[in-house]
Amino acid sequence: MIQSLFLASLFAPFSLMVLLGLSFLMRIPMYERWLSFTVKYFSLAMAGMGFTLWGLVWFHSPSEVLLHYGSWIKVGEYSFDLPFIVDLLGATYSLLTSCLIGIIFRFSRNYLHREEGYFRFTFLLTVLWFGLNIVSFARSLDLLFVGWELVGTTSVLLISYFYTQVQPVRHALKAIVSYRLCDMGILAAAAWSHHYLHSTDFVALPKLLHHDHGGSALIFIGIFVIFASLAKAGQLPMSSWLPTAMEGPTPSSAIFYGALSVHLGPFLLIRFHDYIDNFPSLLIAIGVIGGTSAIWATLVGRTRSDAKTMLGFATITQVGIMWIEIALGYTNFAMFHMVAHASLRTWQFLRSMSLIHDFFENPTVKQDVSIRRDLSFLKLLPEGARKKIYVHALHSFHLDFFTSRVIRGVSFPMKVIFAVEKKMMVWDNKVLARLLRKN
Amino acid sequence: MTSSTDFNKLLTGIRARLPIQNPLHSFVHNNILQMFENLDFHDAVKEAGELYRAKTYWPVEKYKECFAKKKISEVDIMEALNHYMGYNHELPFLPLLGITKKDFFYRLMFSELNFNDDEVQPELDDERLWMHCREKVRNENLVLSRSPVRWRAKAYWEKHHNILYSSSIHPLVTRLIGSYLDQGQSFWGNPFSQEGFWKFVAYDLEQTDNFLSGWQKVFAKKMKEGAGKDPGNIILNELKEMNIPEEKWESYLLDILFDLKGWAGMVNKLELEPWQATVKAPKIQLAEYLAVVLLIESSVDSYFSTTHSLDINLIRGRKEEIKLSGFQLSLGLYQIAKAMKLDERWVQKLKVSDALALIDGVDAAEAHHNIRLWHEAFEHHYHREAIQTLMSRKENEVKPPEMAAQVFFCIDDREESIRRHMEEVDPRLKTYGVVGFFGIDMKFSTYKHDRLIAQCPPVVVPSRIVTEVALDTERGSFLRRIYNFLGITDLAFYYQSRTMFRGLLTTLILGTLSVVPMFFQIFFPERARNMKSNIFGLFSSDLKTEILIEKTDAIHGYDVKEMAGIVKSVFDMCGIRHQFAPLIVLLAHGSSSNNNPFRQAYGCGACGGNAGIPNSRGFAKMANDPRVREVLTGMGLSIPENTVIISGFHDTCTDEISFFDLEKVSDEKKSMLNDISKSFTEALRRNALERCQRFSLTEAHTDADVAKDHVLERALDPAQPRPEYGHSKNALAIVAKRDLTKGLFLNRRAFLHSYDWELDPEGKTLASVVLGGVPVAVNINMDYYFSLVDNENFGCGSKLPLNLTALLGVMTGSQGDLRIGLARQMVEIHEPIRNMTIIEAPLERVQNLFESNKRLSNILHQHWMRLVVFDPTNGKWFQYGHRSWIELQSENLAVKTVKSSLEALTMVHTNDFLEIRS
Repeated sequence: MIQSLFLASLFAPFSLMVLLGLSFLMRIPMYERWLSFTVKYFSLAMAGMGFTLWGLVWFHSPSEVLLHYGSWIKVGEYSFDLPFIVDLLGATYSLLTSCLIGIIFRFSRNYLHREEGYFRFTFLLTVLWFGLNIVSFARSLDLLFVGWELVGTTSVLLISYFYTQVQPVRHALKAIVSYRLCDMGILAAAAWSHHYLHSTDFVALPKLLHHDHGGSALIFIGIFVIFASLAKAGQLPMSSWLPTAMEGPTPSSAIFYGALSVHLGPFLLIRFHDYIDNFPSLLIAIGVIGGTSAIWATLVGRTRSDAKTMLGFATITQVGIMWIEIALGYTNFAMFHMVAHASLRTWQFLRSMSLIHDFFENPTVKQDVSIRRDLSFLKLLPEGARKKIYVHALHSFHLDFFTSRVIRGVSFPMKVIFAVEKKMMVWDNKVLARLLRKN
Repeated sequence: MTSSTDFNKLLTGIRARLPIQNPLHSFVHNNILQMFENLDFHDAVKEAGELYRAKTYWPVEKYKECFAKKKISEVDIMEALNHYMGYNHELPFLPLLGITKKDFFYRLMFSELNFNDDEVQPELDDERLWMHCREKVRNENLVLSRSPVRWRAKAYWEKHHNILYSSSIHPLVTRLIGSYLDQGQSFWGNPFSQEGFWKFVAYDLEQTDNFLSGWQKVFAKKMKEGAGKDPGNIILNELKEMNIPEEKWESYLLDILFDLKGWAGMVNKLELEPWQATVKAPKIQLAEYLAVVLLIESSVDSYFSTTHSLDINLIRGRKEEIKLSGFQLSLGLYQIAKAMKLDERWVQKLKVSDALALIDGVDAAEAHHNIRLWHEAFEHHYHREAIQTLMSRKENEVKPPEMAAQVFFCIDDREESIRRHMEEVDPRLKTYGVVGFFGIDMKFSTYKHDRLIAQCPPVVVPSRIVTEVALDTERGSFLRRIYNFLGITDLAFYYQSRTMFRGLLTTLILGTLSVVPMFFQIFFPERARNMKSNIFGLFSSDLKTEILIEKTDAIHGYDVKEMAGIVKSVFDMCGIRHQFAPLIVLLAHGSSSNNNPFRQAYGCGACGGNAGIPNSRGFAKMANDPRVREVLTGMGLSIPENTVIISGFHDTCTDEISFFDLEKVSDEKKSMLNDISKSFTEALRRNALERCQRFSLTEAHTDADVAKDHVLERALDPAQPRPEYGHSKNALAIVAKRDLTKGLFLNRRAFLHSYDWELDPEGKTLASVVLGGVPVAVNINMDYYFSLVDNENFGCGSKLPLNLTALLGVMTGSQGDLRIGLARQMVEIHEPIRNMTIIEAPLERVQNLFESNKRLSNILHQHWMRLVVFDPTNGKWFQYGHRSWIELQSENLAVKTVKSSLEALTMVHTNDFLEIRS
């Protein structure tokens, strides 16, 4: 039962994605009404399946079901296997996905009505859905990477939903660079664990670890995984893309940066928790990254005055706290936190349009709303210090400045190489010229 | 020369050009170009178009499409040309062509001149002509005289050095000004909000000095130099140093400010009218903001000119030449000859210098006149149809049955349809249109909330303060405490959920719970509303409140005499002296929508974008007061004792009508009200059906019940970007007796004011009707016009990626300019037609009125509106042309007739005017 439900929840979004994609490629006209009709019943079915699966897993013992569907390709000793795990974490994330995407579908049916990009939007959401379900249930890094990439790509494509304007495209570029950089982490982790442990199976890895094949090199798998999760979760130092990613239609900002994409960071860490647990230094690193990100983001977010950017920073803050929870070993708590947070932020994003009137109608907002919001421990600081913190927070504590310094630092050796090459070409020509003259 | 007076003059000139939009919590419908109203419409939009970098008409293809669809006819074009001849156009090259001005314009409209466009492949059918043209100007070169001179270096940097202002310079400005103007959206208020923007920026740069790079370093240096100086002096010095000629200062500064026009406009607004702020305006001065952006501009210039080793003085003041080569010139000559129907012999005779002058002149004339002519023709089509329909309309001979009720509506164009439906459903109902604040110019506060809200047209300054109180004071104050508590919780939740530890707690506690409202609001908006009202109904449903409108020691309201004056003026407007129905129902209006930042733009324009409920309640209270009636009798208006005035409310979005203060109404009257309510309900169903035509809904085309459910859902759905189409398509304002328009289907495009010329020999009532209604109608009309013709630059673009900022307005995406105007989803079905006002009154009376009021005469003489007068004393129709009145002749147009409004609904997309005859 679990197995068939799992298969269904994996294949249903896939088939919808293929169906929509093919109909587009074959230029079959897709009327908005048909599309919204299809999507409506589809999400209903998916949510039903999600609940059932979750319930079954909850009462199932042992709490995880391991599935294996052979391998896709084999090259020598290496084989790309298709192993899945259906456990509470995966079922929860999949259920969250189904519910929230269902809500977003319903929301965007009216929100994007008569919009040219309605089809594109819907299609990209089905891709997201499929990608997230792969990530939820994948049992190996190789397989997880497939879903991980799909999510990243759709995210970038939806940031640049209004691709005729400059700003969305620039910010999409920023996002994709951050994503790709961190995606290397997954690839590196996969390569590393293939090399030393001959497997990338989440369940098998911690057990293999105890047989100790690679010595100190094994910690790098953990480091890479942590690095990989930075960009999606918007944790430091990969944070600066997230607040600027709010360029697409509101529902897409809600689903990606309030809910589903941004929580993949903690999700990956929970998946890998059994492995990372063996290295206290990694746990400390996670805690430190999460803690700094949370403090950084909450301070910066307090100075932001637009609804969506503010929510972006608030999200980074809470995800940072989730990292601390994971570092402390409270993975179930972090999971609950994740679900609660995703729902809350989605709703806050969707409702962000009402803010002006909410404030205006609020009987306590008169001419002195400042009294209420200044209730903060920072009031204890002297005024000069508060001003200082405010100004630096306004500039995100110069994250972009430091990032550009790092980029310049990285690009320095490249520049040296180019300069030397240029010089050598000049010499070459001179030598050549001299030779020619001699002849 | 004193620099401060100099600077003040400069600043005043700049202020007069900045956008004037209010923060979004208040009424936003203004003529966006109100500051340009002293110029002729076409000239004004040209100037504004350059400033706003916007198009000011539909694209010409769109008009030509209308011509192909017969929405512009040959007659319209001729009439538009005639009208256009009234302007004084100089066409010095005309003798070269040997045709009349009118011919020239006519042929220009149908020509396709694209010789200065490199990308279009020209068609050359007439080879002989082409040969001659080629021969004539083969070896010439011409720089068009309309080549612009640019004082700003911005375009140069962007074009040649790939420096994007929008990504490297504007984010800094946006962040600084956004955080400075914030009204309470961010958790931390700006600590400098009472010290001045200049100080804030100076401190900011001083603190972040180590992290600056490139032009920012130069900027920081300049800021340091300017410390302690007067911003006016800084600006003047900088301009002198930059070598900008003095007569270009204003336009240069405006050009910089219009990069981020929304923010500049908001700075200006909050400086001049701090009470408009959503919460509290910070201490802000346009001069300081201007100084900052000017210093940034000059820093960028000097930084990049140094790094690229360029002389900045050559970049400033450069002429961007539009140059035509020999081939383009011959093509130009060929196309002109073709368009003007001239042959090769004409080309042969032409001197080369004349040919060049001609090409230059025609090129400029085409850019200038072509689209204006098309626009005039397009407008003329609609206006002509409107006038002719009214002229040829026949009186209905059927004698109306005895009146059951008189229903007062707002003049709003959205009420046109419901009035029509009501009269059709129940001929015993008589409807009137008065400006929806019913003459009560007050600030109003409810028993829940102390905030005073102006309930009158934005052009009127409220003179009174009126409050609502609960009759049961104990329960009232209890409820007040509850609302206060809810308000505190709401705010706390808003701020705390975005912080760290408190955020964690809120998330854990409320996170999963938030699924419940999200689910219900999105999937079952109607049920969500019912649930909410049930919960609130537990303690507030039967609370009775009262509006304190009478002047006492504590309340700054009206005394009995003033009340009588207000009541009388409203009845006078409607022409009611003797014939009173037993029931008079006042239907104020408003529009409910969910999650809509532009909610105020949908409300009652005459009540400052709010619902007009307090006004209608106040008016009913006044008019039912026996003391007021006694005074009224003395003034010659005796309302029979039997007549009761009932206040009500029509929600134009949900299409629901509700009544207020029925406790004191007798049972007999209540049953009468119940009786006519049935007609109201039916009219509302039909109205919903009519509105669904605009949404292009096939399933709601025929079934009124489906339509009714649909419009309700639209209003409640948080995901709905188009709860209703607001004033879309508005084009007319008719000031007349209802008899003039009764039985006409006007497709919700007309503001309908009631006015009885016979009761108003002095023209006083006319003045109050026209002054209260027409300027508002023109403002709304122009707001829609500009937001439609260039939605990106006059409007605020698509609603989808909007992002609320600083509790003042919206940005697109994560950063950028504060947007002005209306969203694309609000105006997409509108048509750009200037308002035409039709007044039924003796001509002289109208003339006197328009001459006596400055703004009216201005917008009339400068063609921001059209005016037609039906003089009932002699039955003649007059239209205002160019400073003269032209008598109009009836063309005996056959207006299509239908049996009922319902039948008309099948034709709304093709017909704007229909006559209804049963």
